Amino acid sequence: MADAPMTSGGLLVFKPKPSLPPPPATTGVIGWMRFNLFDGIYSSVTTVIGVLLIGYIAIGFYEWAFVRAVWEASSRNECRISPTEFGTCWAGVEFWFTRFIYGRYPDAEIWRIDLAALIFVLWMAPLWLPRVTAKVIVGLSAVMVFPFLAGYLFLGGERNWFMAIMVALSLTWFIGTMVHVAICLVTNQGLGRWIIQATGFASRDDRLQKYPIIILSLIAYFVVYFLVADWQTVEVVPNQWGGLFLTLVISGVGIASALPIGIVLALGRRSQMPVVRVLCVAFIELFRSVPLITILFMATTMFPLFLPKGVVFNNLASVIVAVCLFSAAYMAETVRGGLQAISRGQYEAAEAMGLSYWQSMGLIVMPQALKLMIPNIVGSFIGLLKDTTLVSIIGLYDLLGMINAVSQDPQWIGLHHEPLFTAAVLYFVACLAMSKYSQHLERKLGAGDRR
Amino acid sequence: MAVVERPRSSSDLSSVINDERYRSIFYQILVFGTVFAIAAFLVNNTLTNMAAQGKAAGFDFLLGTAGFAIAWTPLDYKPVDSYLFVYWVGIVNTLIISGISIVLTTILGFVIGIFRLSKNWLIGQIAAWYVEVLRNTPLLLQIIFWYLGAFANLPRPKQSVELFGADWLILNNRGLYFPNAEFGELFWLTAVGMLISVVAAIWYNKRAIKQQLETGVYVPIWWKILVILIGLPLAIFLVTGMPLSWELPVLKGFNFQGGTFILPAMCSVLVALVIYHSAYVAEMVRAGIMSVSHGQTEAAYSLGLRPSWTMRLVIIPQAMRAIIPPMISLWMNVVKNSSLAIAIGFPDLVNVFMQTSLNQSGHAIEIVAMVMLFYMTVSLTISACLNVYNKKILLTER
Repeated sequence: MADAPMTSGGLLVFKPKPSLPPPPATTGVIGWMRFNLFDGIYSSVTTVIGVLLIGYIAIGFYEWAFVRAVWEASSRNECRISPTEFGTCWAGVEFWFTRFIYGRYPDAEIWRIDLAALIFVLWMAPLWLPRVTAKVIVGLSAVMVFPFLAGYLFLGGERNWFMAIMVALSLTWFIGTMVHVAICLVTNQGLGRWIIQATGFASRDDRLQKYPIIILSLIAYFVVYFLVADWQTVEVVPNQWGGLFLTLVISGVGIASALPIGIVLALGRRSQMPVVRVLCVAFIELFRSVPLITILFMATTMFPLFLPKGVVFNNLASVIVAVCLFSAAYMAETVRGGLQAISRGQYEAAEAMGLSYWQSMGLIVMPQALKLMIPNIVGSFIGLLKDTTLVSIIGLYDLLGMINAVSQDPQWIGLHHEPLFTAAVLYFVACLAMSKYSQHLERKLGAGDRR
Repeated sequence: MAVVERPRSSSDLSSVINDERYRSIFYQILVFGTVFAIAAFLVNNTLTNMAAQGKAAGFDFLLGTAGFAIAWTPLDYKPVDSYLFVYWVGIVNTLIISGISIVLTTILGFVIGIFRLSKNWLIGQIAAWYVEVLRNTPLLLQIIFWYLGAFANLPRPKQSVELFGADWLILNNRGLYFPNAEFGELFWLTAVGMLISVVAAIWYNKRAIKQQLETGVYVPIWWKILVILIGLPLAIFLVTGMPLSWELPVLKGFNFQGGTFILPAMCSVLVALVIYHSAYVAEMVRAGIMSVSHGQTEAAYSLGLRPSWTMRLVIIPQAMRAIIPPMISLWMNVVKNSSLAIAIGFPDLVNVFMQTSLNQSGHAIEIVAMVMLFYMTVSLTISACLNVYNKKILLTER
């Protein structure tokens, strides 16, 4: 008898019936759709409208990008699909793609840009390897030392004494970093410690331990200096730079110089000294309240007047200076936001420990503030990458400038949409990747602060 | 407690060097001196260079004849007018285009922001992708895209498109044409009527709120307010004999005559500015609404408020506190970004003054300073308003 209560030794034992399965309409795909797409009449109607909208856009895009596509042609005229209609001329994009990336850089010299990019990637990659030590030095040198090598690779030609010293330094540093990374991966300790041990200085006095490192670095530097002394590349004038390469050069230099200048400006703005504060506030507010395009116009029209007689600044240099000043003003506000988020107790504690102003800033406040600022710094880099397109207005051939140039080429006249679409995709992928990475970084670094 | 002041002698050099006050003064003199030296160097170079080019600094050129035509302006500008008038035309055009963009982008952004928070997964995703795509591509590229992709391919006047099937809203490659309002003699009475009705409606609304606070009785008054707002001006308008007529655009020869028109370039700048910034507004709205703690919603529900009332009376007022400050700096950005219109030839301030006038007259420093002065004035005005607002809505805490 199923309904009779079970007895065990005269006691009634409660035994629940097996639970029923959930109603089919609340679980699985159907349940999810019911809850998220068709929850009530409004929701259903909007879902239908949404589906129709997506379908309309998708079909339109499919037709434009694939059905009407012409993949092989050597001029825009060959992209006609009927006497009156042009197809979607992907052949043109393919033909010009190298130019979109490298601008009018000579074909035979493009390897120099690729090499610089490769060196940069190798230089930055150790930051993502957990076993590598001294990441701050590696990262900072990639931003501060690498530009000299890259600048020479891009520009070529004769080196003056300053560039000769800096290029050799940059190369030595790069080789040192690579050796450091290799040693870290093999032995789990940095290059410096390894040298001390290998030369037998580990048992010596602490004060003596730095000498083998200094001597070995000097030897390495002079070896590199004399090895590359005769190395020279063909000069490529900045007028030939262009495409995505130029975009990255301008925004890269802009962001790399914006951070140090911005930090100084932000500290100045929070300073107790009225003269310093007023000057910093005036600079920041001036550059933040006017559009970038006016600053670029100012750079191209007024900088030539500012310079002493005989000094000639090319357009690119003026633009880079303008972009640096502009992004530094914005970076200063980002840094200020970060500094304000640090509680007063930290400043007071640092002072109570007897640290000087620069010590307390460098060791206590800045490390915490920079961590908080990472999302905003990435945000301003994305902004700068997008704003760099403005240089096409004053006649530089960045990515957008190259794309406008395509439509004026006699062979490809009127080819607008396909290159624009390509550029949009390039920008979108780059910016989205950066913003997603910064969100990831924020979560990772903030892990300790979250409750 | 007595403060013991250490005697300070001028010969005690180390105490002067280590005294923070003297150090601070020394550093300030150093900084000021450096900045001053750099400025003097630049000014000196500039003067030398200008003397070498035979140019004279000064604002006299502003009264000279500009001598070029401007493609679009609501003002009565002719090529014989002065550079000063060109400056004014540029300012008016910039303010018009950014004013319209600010209004439309705020409305559109709010709608997208609400969609982004929708419980409907599909709508939320569409809004999220809208925001991502627009925020991660450069504005200049979007402006050029709208121009070349849509507004540069419009048909000639003979084959004009009639928007929404209305023969008074016409789009062709010369621009968007719409009717021009012509006010009659007595129209000012209607305008006064509108003003009065707005004041009356505000007063009535305040009275109703006061009544509700005192008696607890809620009387729906929205339809009464509607009657006041529409009825009074309409009555005056009818009584004064409808002193308003519309001048319609009519095709004459090769082009439309009459009515008002805006250039295709202006249409594309407007569309691009509105859509680009609406993505940012949407994110602000979303972040603002999310910043209101869920406990507020639950508390409102437990008081028995309907979801729509919860949103209107509890969530939105608190969210506004987080939305308004970034929103105002976004409006500032709209004003600044409207200068990108130069890329497709819309005659805004940067285009007519900083490009054409500068190239013609060569007075770089004066013109750059004037343009920057305008943008700084706008920016400082907006941030002053923001500060006033911030003070007003600051949470009054214990």
